[in-house]
Amino acid sequence: MRGYRTILVERVDLGQGTTGRFHGLLHSGGRYVISDERSATECAEESAIVKRIAAEAVEDTGGLFVTTPADDPGYADRFLAACLKTGVPVQEIPAAEALRREPRLNPGISRAFEVQDGAVDAWKLLWGNARSAQEHGAAILSYHWVTEVIREGDRVAGVIARDNRAGEMVRIEAAFVINAGGVWAGEIADMADCPGVTVVPGKGIMIAMNHRLVRTVVNRCEHPGDGDILVPIRTVCVIGTTDVKADSPDDYSIGRDEVQQMLDAGEVIVPGFRQARALHAWTGARPLFKDERAGEGGEDTRHMSRGLALVDHLRRDGVSGFLTITGGKLTTYRLMAETVVDAMVEQMGDSRPCTTATEALPGSEDGRHYWLGSRLAAQEEAMADDQLVCECELMPRRKLVEAARRRPGMTLDDVRRALRLGMGPCQGGFCTYRATGILHGLGDAETERADELLLTFLQHRWLGLEPILYGDQMRQACLDDWIFQGTLDVEHLPVTVPT
Amino acid sequence: MRRAVVIGAGLAGLVAGVRLAEGGMRVTMVAKGVGSLTLSPGVIDVLGYAPGRVDSPREALGAFVAERPDHPYARIGADALEEALAWFTDRVPQMRYRGDGPRNLLLPTAVGVPRPTALAPASMAGADLRGGGRFVVVGLSGLKDFFPRLLADNLARADLPSGAMVGARHAEITASPRPGRADVAGQVYARALDDPAFRGEFAAALRGLAEPGETILLPAVLGMARAGEVFDELQERVGAPIAEVPTVPPSVAGMRLNTELTGAFARAGGRVVLGVEAVGATGSDGRISEVLVRDAARTRALPADAVVLATGGFSAGGIALDSYGGLHEVVLDLPVAGPPAGVAPLSERHLDHQPLMASGVAVDGMLRPVGPGGEPVWDNLHAAGTIVAGAEPWREKSGEGIAIAGGFRAAGAILEET
Amino acid sequence: MTHPLHELMRDSLDHCVKCTICETYCPVAAATPLFPGPKYVGPQAERYRGGDANADASLDYCSSCGICTQVCPQGVKIAEINSQAKAELAQRRGVSLRDRLIARPTLAGWMGAPVWPVANWTTSFGPFRLLLEKVLRIHRKAPMPRWAGRTFQSRTRSRRKAPDPAAPQRKVVFFHGCAANFYEPGTASMAVQVLEHNGLEVIIPKQGCCGLPLQSNGQYDAARAYVRRLAAQLAPYARAGHDIVATSTSCGLMLKREAHEILGVDDDDLRVVSERMFDICEYLVMLDERGELKRDMQPVDMEVPYHAPCQQRGHGVGTPAMELMAMVPGLRASQVDAVCCGVAGTYGLKAEKYDIAMEVGRSLFDQVRASGAALSVCDSETCRWQIAAATDRPSVHPVEMLHRAYGLG
Repeated sequence: MRGYRTILVERVDLGQGTTGRFHGLLHSGGRYVISDERSATECAEESAIVKRIAAEAVEDTGGLFVTTPADDPGYADRFLAACLKTGVPVQEIPAAEALRREPRLNPGISRAFEVQDGAVDAWKLLWGNARSAQEHGAAILSYHWVTEVIREGDRVAGVIARDNRAGEMVRIEAAFVINAGGVWAGEIADMADCPGVTVVPGKGIMIAMNHRLVRTVVNRCEHPGDGDILVPIRTVCVIGTTDVKADSPDDYSIGRDEVQQMLDAGEVIVPGFRQARALHAWTGARPLFKDERAGEGGEDTRHMSRGLALVDHLRRDGVSGFLTITGGKLTTYRLMAETVVDAMVEQMGDSRPCTTATEALPGSEDGRHYWLGSRLAAQEEAMADDQLVCECELMPRRKLVEAARRRPGMTLDDVRRALRLGMGPCQGGFCTYRATGILHGLGDAETERADELLLTFLQHRWLGLEPILYGDQMRQACLDDWIFQGTLDVEHLPVTVPT
Repeated sequence: MRRAVVIGAGLAGLVAGVRLAEGGMRVTMVAKGVGSLTLSPGVIDVLGYAPGRVDSPREALGAFVAERPDHPYARIGADALEEALAWFTDRVPQMRYRGDGPRNLLLPTAVGVPRPTALAPASMAGADLRGGGRFVVVGLSGLKDFFPRLLADNLARADLPSGAMVGARHAEITASPRPGRADVAGQVYARALDDPAFRGEFAAALRGLAEPGETILLPAVLGMARAGEVFDELQERVGAPIAEVPTVPPSVAGMRLNTELTGAFARAGGRVVLGVEAVGATGSDGRISEVLVRDAARTRALPADAVVLATGGFSAGGIALDSYGGLHEVVLDLPVAGPPAGVAPLSERHLDHQPLMASGVAVDGMLRPVGPGGEPVWDNLHAAGTIVAGAEPWREKSGEGIAIAGGFRAAGAILEET
Repeated sequence: MTHPLHELMRDSLDHCVKCTICETYCPVAAATPLFPGPKYVGPQAERYRGGDANADASLDYCSSCGICTQVCPQGVKIAEINSQAKAELAQRRGVSLRDRLIARPTLAGWMGAPVWPVANWTTSFGPFRLLLEKVLRIHRKAPMPRWAGRTFQSRTRSRRKAPDPAAPQRKVVFFHGCAANFYEPGTASMAVQVLEHNGLEVIIPKQGCCGLPLQSNGQYDAARAYVRRLAAQLAPYARAGHDIVATSTSCGLMLKREAHEILGVDDDDLRVVSERMFDICEYLVMLDERGELKRDMQPVDMEVPYHAPCQQRGHGVGTPAMELMAMVPGLRASQVDAVCCGVAGTYGLKAEKYDIAMEVGRSLFDQVRASGAALSVCDSETCRWQIAAATDRPSVHPVEMLHRAYGLG
């Protein structure tokens, strides 16, 4: 948008990393008013901007902070004062009013505060940004894995990436390289011979529940802890999250103990939570920039800064043409971009102002927010002349065919991120076979690849199912096994699937 | 007249119910809803993989149960299985089950895998791949659960017995019972084909699609109540052999079997009470005397001299897993046999053996649920079907065999008691 | 609209494993592509509801027959979820005059009863029915009952006795419903005589409408008021230990379960009434199991097709009518292989749904006609009217067959 020719290089699919692995909360800032004042103010400002520029990706659910019987009753007054200090809009409402709005909430809540939280669909947000970038002339290379940062003396002059689908190496020469690798930013800085950029992966698990148990975002009015947020997003609500230091950003394992911890936490917010149906669990790794000079660190990553971190490699390492931006959170993604591009513009001696806070993303021009019934309304229109492929998430065939035309060679996980295939209650039980058959029928996936797509998707779904298999989801998993193994015998498809 | 209560209306419950009613008992079948038989592909599996592909279940079964002493087949016994299957096929003549003596057939699934099964309706058996063959796979434009090209292409790559050559191509027809509607369910096609008018249109669309020597493979939607007539007439009018391929739910073939078997139960004098939940039992001296069911207004006691528990496993809800990992039998709170100690209940690899999935109630030789010491919990309570521990029927391709033989054996044990 | 029980019903959507059994049994989805099916509009669409707008008008094609809940092996309260969502849809769209009228059988009943010959003439008068269709969108061919003149209540005033806690088991309360009151007092009288023949004294208290038609037409507040009033009228008898016996199977089910599960009525009057409520065939079979049913039936040499209506199936008591008819020598009753006659209370009266309702019932009508029997048997009034109109022969309550067998007529 500032007139530079830009190439975005992403190692897998957009949103396969941390951005797509969160609970969907567009922070009002309330969560950080005491622990991290700067983050709180940034969130308050940025969430208002995101609601405006990315309206289509945001549901304006509003949020509540509630003092449950398990919370320190003294926190509420400190919370209120800190909101005023940090500029986070807040309004106390009677606990009875909160219970009227959210009948499932713990009836023992003593205080309730209304804040301006929202729910944001990370993938919609990403695709909105991607389309915007493309409209401004940028190219996006997904499934390109950076293997080398090209150095020419004291300056960075581009990157070499492996195109993982074509199996070719791609050399990209550039006047400037911005490292926005998130949890992987340290690895990329190392490639540029700028060592010591330490980004600690703060791993958290989240669990999506089958339907909305609450209509607004519910936070516990307490020092930020594990499992204290319940976010209604799309058709589900998500409880999150834990926070443990991971050894590797690619560690997606989900501990059974972490699941139990989330379920207990859910019970505190919504009694009976354990009886509700869990759909799927996943992990995301927060990029926590380790500021060693401040002497912090240790194992509990929650006390590390949530703030964005700009690393100026010219000042730090004497390397020009290279900046690292990391830390931060999804709510402040735009501010991170503004900050790093401002720094780049300054280093390049330009003066081109940032306009991302005012220009709406494609699809959000009319300022209308996402609403829960939108897919149902669209399906009502399409019912006569289209087939429903994913019944849970109401994904019609036409959408899949269009997506396949736009982006040939998708995996079913790519389809999931773009169209929510397999994200509903049956977790792919009925749609995986359909989507495979359609992509194969279109000629988009030849037979062996089609078999691979099917089995890989089932395996990937399983990774998020296995840790939360109990109650209704266990019933579903067994029915799905009956369909795939019992009726279709997919385990004897003539193809081997990588783990 | 002695009274039996059968809990569950799936395959095992229906088999037990029919045999008990024929044996002269007054049988009441109670079920929360329609049994999951309506979701089944309509074939009768006995043993398909152990874990290699099984050519002859009869020959393989001995070694299979020797290695798995806790498998339901180890309790039921091979002889009871044979007797039960013969008895069963007589009860459902309209399904026209066909097999190859002791050997498995090898029928294509909707995704094109050759799948072993012991018996199949005549409308499916014609697709037996053991001797190879040439096929034209025909899709229906309105049916979203059948992909002729994927089936045909996978069939051409399939792992078949040596010497068997398969050629397959694909086609599609647009004849539809709901013209102008893109999404037409399998049961809508099936019911429409019962009607001679649409049948004629359908036959006309198929005519000429098959070259000489080719068999037409179609999704299993060829008729509902009049499936036999529909199949015969289509073959005759099209002038080529036809075979149905089972579909994922909604499965028309499963619905046909359910209809015929529930009909057999009614003709034998059995009563079905649908839409109620069995919630417990009362009894004394080790015998159940009443089964408690919850109807629209109250909890009612059904007098019972014998009880068959056929509520299914996890998917049908007979066994439940709570959020703490506890296993429960939902009606009578029977002890549940889960994975043995020291064994990981689930594997991270989806298609691996998943020990937790084989959970259920352990039974004795008369299929009576037993406690930890191997003693029956109730002397007159018998279990059959997926609720019995020790099998992963969808992996073994053994579900119908276990259900039929189990239901038959449980009923036999009850009838022998007098 | 929302009440705690609504949340409970809604939570049952968690049990849905998408198996589609409900869709394969849904009589409306089988008859028309306009209705996307109970799974679709129920547990599936419900996950998209709760916002400010209803997005799926196709929901309105659900006839509320309740078969989906009954066949669901997973315990999803599909019909209940759909009914709630339909009521919300009706509220948003506004309830039409037609739906207000047909939901109040007592209103039409009282309007017609005093002038019954005229009323009967007008409702069978073609031009008037055309007008009714034009103005109110009630289909001109939809079956309409005929007013019987004096109401059953006024004929049985002498039986309006107080509860008798001293002899609760010898005296039963008869709940006749609106249809018997205005249109079929004969059926109600036969029921009373059959009960008396079995040595029971029959009390017929003053009683109003259960509110079922209001509920199925989305007018929940009015329905709640009706059913609460009725429960209050019957509760003293239930508390005294009297069983309550109903010939109207759908109204009986309303009191047993639907008022609680769909309307969320959760009061003590309804609870005691619900626990004492029996469908008459259920009650007679229960008497038989206790050895208290008179078996002095005379031969009735007839073949009759029997249809167990959707609402009767909802009781979860099997098919006691078939068991009773099997006790009658010579009577050869066979159950029709069909789930629904299509009318579903008031659904089949509506001009925009009449054709669907007739298509739903087609197989049932064909079987009744093909049987060659002089009449058919069915437990529910509106279903009998529908079946009689479509098959050109009378359709009677099973208790009428018993009445004949006992030689009471």
